[in-house]
Amino acid sequence: MAWRRAHRYRDEVAIRARQQAVVAELGQRALAGMPLDELIDRAVTQVARELGTDYVSVLELTGDGVGLSIRDGHGLPDGVIGGVLSTTREELPGYALDSEAPLVIEDFATETRFGPSPVQRELGIVSAMAAPIGTRGGRFGVLGVSSRTAHKFSADDAFFVQAIANVVGAAAERARTDEIVRDSEARFRELADTTPALMWMTDAEGSVTYVNEGWLRFTGRTLDEELGGTWSVGAHPDDVERVLQRWHEATARREEFVVEYRLVRRDGSERWVLAQGLPRYDAGEFVGYVGTATDIHERKQMEDALRESEQNWRDLADAAPVMIWTTDERGLVTFVNAGWLDYTGTTLEEELGPSWSLGVHPDDAPAVISSWNEKLAAREPWTLEYRLRGVGGDYRWIVDRGVPRYEAGRFVGYVGTAIDIHERKTMEARLREVYEREHTIAETLQRSLLPERLPRIEGLEIAARYLPAGHGAAVGGDWYDALERADGRVGLVVGDVVGHGLRAAAIMGQLRNAFRAYGLAEASPAEVMARVNRLVMSGEEDAMATVLYLVLDRETGEVTFASAGHPPPLVLAADGARFLEGGRSVPVGAAEPGIFREATAVLPPGASLLLYTDGLVERRDTPLEQRLDELAEAARSGEENLEALCDSVLAGVLGEQVPSDDVALLAVRPRPVATRSLRLSLLAEPESLPGLRRRLGRFLHAVGASAEESYEITLTVCEAAGNAIEHAYGPVDATFDVEASFENGTLVAVVRDRGSWRERRGTHRGRGLKIIEGLMDDVQVSTEQDGTVIRMRRRLAA
Amino acid sequence: MTSAEVAIERRGGTVIAHLSGEVDMTNAPRVRDELLVSVPNDAMALVVDLDGCRYLDSAAIEVLFDLARRLGRRRQELRLVLPPSSPLVRVLTLTDVQSVAVVHETLDAALAQ
Repeated sequence: MAWRRAHRYRDEVAIRARQQAVVAELGQRALAGMPLDELIDRAVTQVARELGTDYVSVLELTGDGVGLSIRDGHGLPDGVIGGVLSTTREELPGYALDSEAPLVIEDFATETRFGPSPVQRELGIVSAMAAPIGTRGGRFGVLGVSSRTAHKFSADDAFFVQAIANVVGAAAERARTDEIVRDSEARFRELADTTPALMWMTDAEGSVTYVNEGWLRFTGRTLDEELGGTWSVGAHPDDVERVLQRWHEATARREEFVVEYRLVRRDGSERWVLAQGLPRYDAGEFVGYVGTATDIHERKQMEDALRESEQNWRDLADAAPVMIWTTDERGLVTFVNAGWLDYTGTTLEEELGPSWSLGVHPDDAPAVISSWNEKLAAREPWTLEYRLRGVGGDYRWIVDRGVPRYEAGRFVGYVGTAIDIHERKTMEARLREVYEREHTIAETLQRSLLPERLPRIEGLEIAARYLPAGHGAAVGGDWYDALERADGRVGLVVGDVVGHGLRAAAIMGQLRNAFRAYGLAEASPAEVMARVNRLVMSGEEDAMATVLYLVLDRETGEVTFASAGHPPPLVLAADGARFLEGGRSVPVGAAEPGIFREATAVLPPGASLLLYTDGLVERRDTPLEQRLDELAEAARSGEENLEALCDSVLAGVLGEQVPSDDVALLAVRPRPVATRSLRLSLLAEPESLPGLRRRLGRFLHAVGASAEESYEITLTVCEAAGNAIEHAYGPVDATFDVEASFENGTLVAVVRDRGSWRERRGTHRGRGLKIIEGLMDDVQVSTEQDGTVIRMRRRLAA
Repeated sequence: MTSAEVAIERRGGTVIAHLSGEVDMTNAPRVRDELLVSVPNDAMALVVDLDGCRYLDSAAIEVLFDLARRLGRRRQELRLVLPPSSPLVRVLTLTDVQSVAVVHETLDAALAQ
């Protein structure tokens, strides 16, 4: 036991960093597309190695949802893998499946909520952990860890197991999505080549990269003749300019592209077509447009013909392969053609009159009626896409378009045409679904790489917000982190990886990890930045990021920071808000060797510090200085409470708008000691003494000790601590504990080590004891079971 | 990090070392070395001004004893400056530093001797 405790402190930090590294590495493999089986195999092996337990397993919910099949495991006896466990909540696996957090079972003998699974019972499991593996769509299974001997799992261990489970869940989700993508691509080609619709795709620059068979049949040209050109290819010379203008407008804003134009075929004939396209994204990056073209030649002709003769027109209309209708000036249907009746299976009598909602999908009917009434009143052209019931009872998407017609200058009603666009519409929906899934996977991964809970750091209030960019946009690589360093100071980091999508999220994970590892070491912010830069520059990925790394001394309020191309941190004090300038250099990943600078400032007592990414302040239409002023103003008028301050800053700067880029915000405030006792566990090394002195100083100041008393008590406690350090028991990683409390005017301090009391070497040790005895009212040294305890008391004057 | 600064000044045959900051077991050896090299053989005395010193522990006090011993062998004198208001007064008294170095309340008093 003594050994365990002695090793605990430094190990905790090292283990946490290593577990983080394992999670990040597994996450990157998941992102890189490692097959799910391999990934799960890796996950169980890594968990077993990190936790040093006998068994690790991944259970997957069976297809029918009533069992948990043992998909993979580490250390399990032959024949166990492939078996199926029950989902009953009476046993751990079933219970864990429905739980929202990891479960830790120290000893099944004292567990009342559930028992072990039959496999665990047979193996004689004593301690266990289990974490639910979830996907966006629901539950995937359970990650389980079992030990045949009593095993104490820490909160960090549980967090680690849940993080691994999250990665497995994200990978399972991705595997499923990949199938859908592959499936949908195959279906897209198949559909595209059999559909009567004309289909096309472009790359990000706007060059045509694909047209389907239907397109080639329609134009009579070959693939070679169609590809590589832009939208003007094949357009009637009179329409080219208008088509290109629409195209540039749409692509600049990544909007839907819609244009009607005359397409000239190889044989020289012209057909009116309606071209429509949507932007497409791959892994969050814009890669071009995908779209259709529809032959609307008849409709155009109809509209023209109607101006000439009504009877001729009806004959023509019934022969046309599209759906056609007319109304009178009140909007009542006066005619539908044979094409319409063939489609709906209705009779002409049913269709005539106020039949606007007949056969329209109930979800679409209100929009159909209201938009129709609105346009009719204004006598404006009306266009709407909606679902109309076909002859077989299935609803299909159509685009319906009506234009007002006039006879001798008098408004007489509308003439309209409708076209079946069901294939196009469903394909659009499927594509959108695929890309949206991609977006959510990246977001899930990013969230699983962000700290789920900010660490609780004594003497520091802390609050953070993370807002993903607006719907449909690609996720960015923003992150924030906070960690307590070995020297007692706090490292804070906020960064933004250049780029979007899965790649940015993966790089963000690597960088966050690098800052954790280097930030824990005792290096200056500029040095930490230089090391991370070296790591990025030596990597294969072409990555770049803006980062702010800041080290805060909670006792003195002193901050040292380095900004790699990042917007400046904001200090919010009683007398106003100001930005911390200086310490600026180029982004990480921009140059090697990178020259990184740092700057120092002191926070006034009670001040807060705001760190953020540029998604908060950058907006195309507003100069940065103005946005920074707005941020300072929002912070100044914000609430005292940090959580509320974060909310009011976001509301004040962003308003109602959804951010167009990701936003990370981290707010901290050093907090005066409020408690009347202090309890510390420190590494038994001289470097622990400065931190101990500051904490004691804060504590003594808080309980009202005078400067002289504060110095004398701090000195005696540190002398006792010095003794503990010199005689630290066992290997290098020993620790000692310090407790201080103040009651009834008396200060009591206890220093507890795990060695035996000896005078320190040299004569100054004799002085050390003389100091302790001379400055304290009462000193007792006692030897207890696993070490020496020095208890000291002193009555304070005030 | 424990940090202390030593600023050296020479007035005639006397070397003045202004010691500021904190001295504990982590930086005491360095402070001792800096003080020792600041005293050339021809100097008569070393005055260590502790006015700017916020913290001294037993290792730092040991440095003062060590200095006095080494200087004594070279027949050089160690004097200390410590204002009566300093929180360090009681500790220096307790450890009997006065037995190896005279403690003056001001720098002028230490130089006037």
